[in-house]
Amino acid sequence: MEQLLEILSPHFLLRNAFYAGLIVGFVCPQVGIFFVLRRMILMGIALPQVSNAGVAFAFLLHTLGWHFFRHIESEKVMALTGSVFFTLITIFVLAILERRRKGFTENRIGFTYAIAGAAAILFVSWNPYGKSEVLSMLTGEIISIPDIYLWSMFAIYGSIFIVLIGFHRNFILVSYDIDMATTIGKKVVLWDIMLYLIIGIIISFGVMTVGPLVIFGFLLIPPVAARMITRGIPLFCIVSSTVGIVASFVGFYISYRFDLPTGPTDVALLCVILVLLYLGKMLFRFKR
Amino acid sequence: MNTENCITLKGVAIGYGRNTILSDINFSLKSGEFVVLFGPNGCGKTTLFKTILRIIPPIQGSILYGNENVPRFGYVPQRKHLDEIYPFTAEEVVLMGTFGQRKPFCPTSKIDRLLVEQCLKDVGMLELRKNFFSELSGGQKQRILIARALATRPNVLLLDEPITGLDILAQKKIIELISVLHRKHQLTIMMITHEVHYIPSWVKKIIHIHHYKVVLGSLEEIIALSRIDEVPNQE
Repeated sequence: MEQLLEILSPHFLLRNAFYAGLIVGFVCPQVGIFFVLRRMILMGIALPQVSNAGVAFAFLLHTLGWHFFRHIESEKVMALTGSVFFTLITIFVLAILERRRKGFTENRIGFTYAIAGAAAILFVSWNPYGKSEVLSMLTGEIISIPDIYLWSMFAIYGSIFIVLIGFHRNFILVSYDIDMATTIGKKVVLWDIMLYLIIGIIISFGVMTVGPLVIFGFLLIPPVAARMITRGIPLFCIVSSTVGIVASFVGFYISYRFDLPTGPTDVALLCVILVLLYLGKMLFRFKR
Repeated sequence: MNTENCITLKGVAIGYGRNTILSDINFSLKSGEFVVLFGPNGCGKTTLFKTILRIIPPIQGSILYGNENVPRFGYVPQRKHLDEIYPFTAEEVVLMGTFGQRKPFCPTSKIDRLLVEQCLKDVGMLELRKNFFSELSGGQKQRILIARALATRPNVLLLDEPITGLDILAQKKIIELISVLHRKHQLTIMMITHEVHYIPSWVKKIIHIHHYKVVLGSLEEIIALSRIDEVPNQE
């Protein structure tokens, strides 16, 4: 109880990591809903890996003396740019190939995952300096999040959440029935691009802040869990975010209490919630 | 019945990219008419539908819409194309029909709720509105999709294979429902089917896709044309 009060205190040393986790836990499932409903779960594994490769590539360029923005020295800004650039390029290429129905989706995503993973490791190994620093960022430095980063995250994820809620009908309709959406005058390509942009930004920024494993976990597990126990889209969305934020809160407490790494603890807890909900559902059906 | 043409196709060729499926299509649809688009599987019926709906652009020719305004279409797609992973209730599927007129950030209005309720009543599905769409039977799903099309307040209703895959009783009920809606709402209706016995006997105008040509005729003429194909080749 004492530790819980300590975490909730505004002067808590690791408060930024705690707040960042809550933001990720609340907003990521709202984006993850579209991964699950559009059957793009595999993409949810590959894209954080691509984002990782982007971060590693940006660090490599930075070490070699290249700068995307000459007036900004921060390597984190450069890493974020690399992450966004790699993720958006990949997501749009995959989306175009998907629309043109070239080859098999699984093959494309598998190839993307493999090449991105290999590229990330190679970029890190070619980096003559700061290998450990790069690796710590790639695995998600969830503990040390500066104020500026937390506020940027709050602004970006908050804006994305507002856009998702405001245009929810369009995103859902375009995902579910393109023909119907076109017939009633929706600009399908525009909404698709907007959704891919949102996915790209959420993943890039999230990977930079909490790492690919945590992002993948919070994108996919809460909606999968919520889908098992809800009826109707509004409840599905509410339960997804509730599962995410509860897992983030409890996960942080457990990791602090037992001195465990936060990211893996969060994801393990999400998996436990998923299994418990599944068993609960089975039990409920059995009793009926 | 209004004699005004609401859709006219002049020398239209349809297909995807450079691949032409059908060409030289000429016909018109009058307001309030019930037309059946009949032809074998894979002959381009759905592509023609999608071209009329402006989902796919025509490769050649022009499609004119009455009064220069594109009519409001209600589209009932084939059920198999809708993914069942979505946890929609039946009511939510119907509500999609109102999305064309809704502004972002606005909650669903009372008018929309009433419209959805009326559409559900019209198709006899009001009691099952809270059920999962994916758990409904084929015939019930079809009714919900028709209600969704009605919720767009259409002038023209296009139904793509609405009775395919249903049992005989469900087929009969769906055809009855479509007939009632046609009469009650004075709707212009175009319905796709690939089996001649699905065509209601009272339908006067049938568009038949026969050997890559679009032919207009009555039910008797279409049956006669189909029988010619069934005669075995003597050579």
